[in-house]
Amino acid sequence: MKIDVRTKMLIAAIFSLLALIYHQVPILASLLLLNILVLVLFRVPLKVGGGLKTLLMMYGTLTFLQSLFVKSGEPLLIVGNMYLLTTDGLYYGISVILRFAILLMSGLLLMRCPVNDLLVALAKMKLPYEIVFMVLLGIRFMPMMAGEIQTTLNHVQLRGVNLRKVYKKKVIRVYLSILLPLVYSIWQKAEKLTILLELRGFRRYETREYYREIAMGKADYLIMGLTICLTVSFVYISKMYW
Amino acid sequence: MSYIVLENVDYTYPDRTEPAVRSLNLVLKKGEKIALTGLNGSGKSTLAKIMLGFLKPQRGRVLLDGCPLDRYTLPEIGARLGFVSQDPGQMIFNLKVSNEIAFGLKWQGKSREETDELTGRYLRRFDLWHLRDENPFNLSEGQKQMVVICAILALAPDFLILDEPTKNIDTSRKRDLLKALRYICNQGTGIIVVSHDREFVASWGGRNIQLTNGEVVAR
Ligand SMILES: Nc1ncnc2c1ncn2[C@@H]1O[C@H](COP(=O)(O)OP(=O)(O)OP(=O)(O)O)[C@@H](O)[C@H]1O
Ligand SMILES: [Mg+2]
Repeated sequence: MKIDVRTKMLIAAIFSLLALIYHQVPILASLLLLNILVLVLFRVPLKVGGGLKTLLMMYGTLTFLQSLFVKSGEPLLIVGNMYLLTTDGLYYGISVILRFAILLMSGLLLMRCPVNDLLVALAKMKLPYEIVFMVLLGIRFMPMMAGEIQTTLNHVQLRGVNLRKVYKKKVIRVYLSILLPLVYSIWQKAEKLTILLELRGFRRYETREYYREIAMGKADYLIMGLTICLTVSFVYISKMYW
Repeated sequence: MSYIVLENVDYTYPDRTEPAVRSLNLVLKKGEKIALTGLNGSGKSTLAKIMLGFLKPQRGRVLLDGCPLDRYTLPEIGARLGFVSQDPGQMIFNLKVSNEIAFGLKWQGKSREETDELTGRYLRRFDLWHLRDENPFNLSEGQKQMVVICAILALAPDFLILDEPTKNIDTSRKRDLLKALRYICNQGTGIIVVSHDREFVASWGGRNIQLTNGEVVAR
C-alpha cells in the first residue's frame, strides 16, 4: 500500500501542532507514543543520523541546564542553601524534551519521502511555484553547503590555522576568513543558477506542468479521515482528564 | 627515502557503491617529481584528498614521513604538504593579494619582517607584484590560481600537490609556472602535478602515475 505524501504531511502537521499547543507531560508522552506507533505502521525506520544525534545531545544538555533555573515547585536537589532542581524544573525539562522528540518524529515521517513528491504536493496545494522552488533549492543546497564548509575548514587548517588553539582576539578574524570563500562560492553558484534558469525558461509560462504524478487513493482518504477523528477525540479526552 | 606511502588503500564515498580508489599501493620519495594522470573521474582528486587526510580510507594505511597520517593534525600536515585544489576560489581567505600570501606565513609563526620579505619575493617571482593590492576574488580565474599557487609555495612545504594547475592559465604563464616548479623541485621539494594537459605533463617530465577507475595502471 502506497500512502500519498499529502496524507503524511497532514499527520506530521497535526502532531507538530498538538506538540506546540500542549505542555502537559502526560499528554505529550501519549502523543509521542502515538507518533511512534504511526511511524511503525508506515514502516518508517526509526534511525536518527549522526548530525541529528549531536543536535539531540546538545538540546538535552541545554534543557537540563535551563530546568536548573526554574525556582518554583518543591526542591529535589539542594546544594548548600540553593535549590538546584525543583519539581517544576524537572517537569518543564521533560515536557520540552518530549515536545522536541515529537517534532523530530514528525520530521522523520516526511524525511523518508522522495523530495520531488513533497514538491509536487506543495504545488498542488496551490502554493506559488517560486516558493516551492525555493524549498527545493534549500533542500538541495544543504548537503552541498555542508561539504563546502568542510572543504574550507580543511584548507584553512592546512595553511597553518589551528582551529583548536586560536587566541581569543583572533577568533573573529579567523571566522571572517573562513566565511569569505564560502560566501564567494555560494554567490557564484547562485549567479550561475540564475543564468541557467533563465536560459531554460524559468517563469516563462504562467503555470508549470509537473511530470511526476502523485495520487490519493482510497486508503489515503481513509487514513486522513481517521486521523482527523482521532485528533478530535484526543483533544476531547485530554480536555476531560487534565 | 620514502616520504608518502599508501598501502592497499580503498576509498568509497559515503553515498556510493563503487570505490573511487581501490587497492592502491604507492611510494613517493622525498623530492620526487611526479605527474598524476588519468581520465575524468578516475580518482585523481580523491587520491590527493586521501594523502592530505581530508578523506579517511576504509581500508589500508597512509604514511607521511614515516608516521601514520592520522597521527597528524591538519596544520601539521599543511606544514609538510602544500595543496592547491582544482577550485582555487575555495582557498582564498583574504581581500588583498599580498595578505593572501602572508596569511599562511603568519599562521606558521613567522615574524613580521620575514613574512613581508617572503611575500615580496614570491609576488615578484610569480609576476604578481602589480596585483598586490587587488582583491583576489576580483581577479581572473587564471590569476586567482597563480595567487593561490604562490601563497602555497611561499610556505615552502616538503611536498607539493597541484590539482590541475594549468586549468585556466595561458601559454606564456604555463611556461613561467613550469620554470618555477622545476626550480623548486631542484631545491629538493617533491611535486605531484595532477593534470590532463598532455603538453604540460610531457614538458614537466617526471615519473608518470596513471589512474584508471581508481586503480594505478602505470607507474
Ligand atoms: N564528494 C563526492 N561524493 C561522491 N562521489 C564523489 C565525490 N567526489 C568524487 N566522487 C566520485 O569519485 C570518483 C573519482 O572522482 P575524482 O574527483 O577523484 O576524479 P578525478 O580523477 O579528479 O576527475 P577530474 O579529472 O574530473 O578532476 C568519480 O566517480 C566521482 O563521481
Ligand atoms: Mg579532479
